[in-house]
Amino acid sequence: MLQLLVFLLCGGILVSGLLAVTLKSVLAATVSAGLASLFAAVCYLLLGAPDVAMTEASIGSGLSTLMFLYAIRKTRGGDD
Amino acid sequence: MAESILLAAAALIFLGALLGVLRLLLGPTVVDRVVAVDMLTVMSISMMSLYALVAGRVIYLDAALVYGVLSFLAVIAVARYLERGL
Repeated sequence: MLQLLVFLLCGGILVSGLLAVTLKSVLAATVSAGLASLFAAVCYLLLGAPDVAMTEASIGSGLSTLMFLYAIRKTRGGDD
Repeated sequence: MAESILLAAAALIFLGALLGVLRLLLGPTVVDRVVAVDMLTVMSISMMSLYALVAGRVIYLDAALVYGVLSFLAVIAVARYLERGL
């Protein structure tokens, strides 16, 4: 049961990564990259590493999305 | 009795996650995808809490708590970005 759940979450990471690579809109790709980190955090928790999951959730999903958006705004002016 | 309730909760969480992923894949606009990510965040937090109950470990609730506190940050950043504020 736990193994099936971990496999499902890994499929979620895969789908989010593919979306982040293939989507045309830069903003949607950034959101998809944050979603991949979200699934990774739950996966770490299920594999028994709550501290790694905590760090991944705060840095990977929160701070990295924020910095990507800031960089997009600073460089290209956001042509979505 | 308690096991059936837990099983029903897990089934509902999976249904919600499935619908969220579907909206993320189909979503025509960016805003649809952002809302889908927000919903998937809530589903992840409930999944973490349910697993903490099933596994009987309190430390998993801390990760869910930190995630609940910080998860709105990305959505607010995207909202500010769309409103040309960031």
